[in-house]
Amino acid sequence: MKHSLRLLAGCGLAILAGTAALAQTELRITHAMSSGAGSEAFNAIVANFEAANPGLTVNQIVFDDDIYSDTGLITQLQSNEVPDIYFQWAGYPVGRDVEAGYAYDLSAAMADGWQATFIDSAFSSGAGTAVDGKVYMVPLSLDVTNTIWYNTAIFEEYGLTVPATWDDFIAAIKVLAEAGETPIIEGNNELWPLGNWASHVAARVVDPLRYDAAFRQEISFADAGFLPALELMQQLHEIGAFNVDMQGLGADPAMAGFFQEAAVMHPIGSWLVGSEGDLAEDGFAYSQFDTPVIDPNHPAPDSVIGTITGFVMHAQTTHPDEATAFLKFLTSAESQVIWAEAGAISPVKGVGDVANLNVQMKGIGDMLANAKTMIPPPDTTYPVPVAEAYYQAAAYAASGEKSAADALVWLDETVTAMGKQ
Amino acid sequence: MAQGDSRVAPISTGARNILFVAPAMVLFGVFVLLPLATSLYYAFTKWSGYAEPEWVGFSNFTRAFADPVHLAAYMHVSLYIIGTLFLEVSFGLVMAVVLNSDRFGFSIMRGMFFSPMVLSMTAAGVLWAFVLDYRLGLLNSVLRSFGLDDWAQPWLSQSETALIAIMFVSGWRFAGFYMIIFFAALRRIPRNIYEAATLDGAGPVKQFFTITLPLLRHQMLTCVLLAITGGFAGFDLFFTMTNGGPFNATEVPATWIIRQGFDNNELGYATALTVILAVVVLIVSLIYLRVVERSDVVRY
Repeated sequence: MKHSLRLLAGCGLAILAGTAALAQTELRITHAMSSGAGSEAFNAIVANFEAANPGLTVNQIVFDDDIYSDTGLITQLQSNEVPDIYFQWAGYPVGRDVEAGYAYDLSAAMADGWQATFIDSAFSSGAGTAVDGKVYMVPLSLDVTNTIWYNTAIFEEYGLTVPATWDDFIAAIKVLAEAGETPIIEGNNELWPLGNWASHVAARVVDPLRYDAAFRQEISFADAGFLPALELMQQLHEIGAFNVDMQGLGADPAMAGFFQEAAVMHPIGSWLVGSEGDLAEDGFAYSQFDTPVIDPNHPAPDSVIGTITGFVMHAQTTHPDEATAFLKFLTSAESQVIWAEAGAISPVKGVGDVANLNVQMKGIGDMLANAKTMIPPPDTTYPVPVAEAYYQAAAYAASGEKSAADALVWLDETVTAMGKQ
Repeated sequence: MAQGDSRVAPISTGARNILFVAPAMVLFGVFVLLPLATSLYYAFTKWSGYAEPEWVGFSNFTRAFADPVHLAAYMHVSLYIIGTLFLEVSFGLVMAVVLNSDRFGFSIMRGMFFSPMVLSMTAAGVLWAFVLDYRLGLLNSVLRSFGLDDWAQPWLSQSETALIAIMFVSGWRFAGFYMIIFFAALRRIPRNIYEAATLDGAGPVKQFFTITLPLLRHQMLTCVLLAITGGFAGFDLFFTMTNGGPFNATEVPATWIIRQGFDNNELGYATALTVILAVVVLIVSLIYLRVVERSDVVRY
């Protein structure tokens, strides 16, 4: 009897051991790449990783961009079953995650030569990927969060060239508006599309230290000298620069409108390139230029506005080694070539030289390479309510709802009312 | 109790009886009282949802009363409620009277008028956002097809028209609901009252104001209360059609609370705004019920 029991127990253990050997380790990764070429490229990289690691499977939890940033991510971060890896924007969100204890310290993993595969600026003090000298984010893309895309055919039709200064820009808009064109299409119902651009404009005219102090609520926006920036938005409204439905239009429909020639220019980020295949007709000719120089005497007259996006490993991941292996695979030169060819700017050294880049991405890459200063967007750098308030004030001025002066008063009242963030 | 004693036995008391109500009390405590208490606690904290809440006393409340958008949200919701009283309750009443007939086709018309209620608010909002779209919307397409290009407007993108558009859609959605309430009540009014009034020479308009309206008074009061409390809780249409925009012109307390809580990650402040909203709705409801009760008193 005792012998039979031992035999039975032995069989049971053997079955359990066999089952364990067959079991897959699942990595849960959550992000906001729900469509477009970037999503396809990421899926291809995941498939390659799974093929190279038969014991690992990747479960992608995908949200629409806005839902992800509003509720999708925080709900998962606080759930009982946390994602092993999650997408995040560098800067303020990473710092907040570190403070809340969600982000895994990747410094040790980076120290074995991984960090050296990235461009140096990916981990510079202003990059927002590290906190107190410790690396918490694996950079995946360098995003220019605003540049001015334009329809080259319509520019040629009206004999326009890329404006070098703000005055040239205004002159071009006037030509287009007088010809009955919609010079600029913007979908600003979420406030950040115009807000990003308006903050870049502000960063070109406001003293950099005062710009920073205003968003940190150390001085008022009026005292920091934001009036000229809002006046430029008002000027654009007065010459008929924007589509009349700007405030009710979403960012994606506005992008579609640009590709369908509903307007001549569209200020938005570098991710527009990834939607070209879905939205543009064959032969649609377009290019981009950075916001023209406004004040040549400003310390950063030709800055670029941009940020880094990437992945953070959750501090409570039960698979840190597997998650690290995935992130290393994702940022390997081979994977990054796939990623870059889908319309992203890779932060990994040498990828730009090897990848067969889209002509638009080459242009963006050149712009980044030539920029002396990179300005991060306020909503990933400063407290979101303050950034949102500035975006709203910019929308007021750009749509004629309030004068620049009144919008500035509203902004300072609103920021004062919210207290120190 | 002696046999034949007609007195009702007093409700028994004692620790043993608590056992019988304990399950209900526990459920009520866990699902009603505890969330209320925690909400009250979070209303006094600064909490992003990420880090631990930090006690800040009344600062969320002082901020709320200085927040211009929050204050404007109450003005918008008041305008919306006034609009719904007209477009939903009044129009529902008129339609109930007009369609109060057994003649062929009237029941179908009542059904058609009620049919928007079948749609969810979210679906209705998305549907009407397409209809009112500036570029491809049905309304502007019709206007343009009649050569009225100047009449085509970005209805949901300008502050002058966005709130009115939402009121209109809300009216389209709910007027049928109020019509059904009034219609059911109309059916209970004896016809001989109208016949007597007709013999006395009263026309349809006079009959409406002297017979129909007074006899529908209780339903009217219920509908007004529903419209007011429902208006304060309004969210779906605002969220799907304008999300509070443009320029906060359609911002109502619920959309502003959601924006603070989830866009700005200020859950502590959002909870304080929710507490304020709950108190406002409670006060308005109590005042309304008090007025209604007083108006029901028969004085001799």
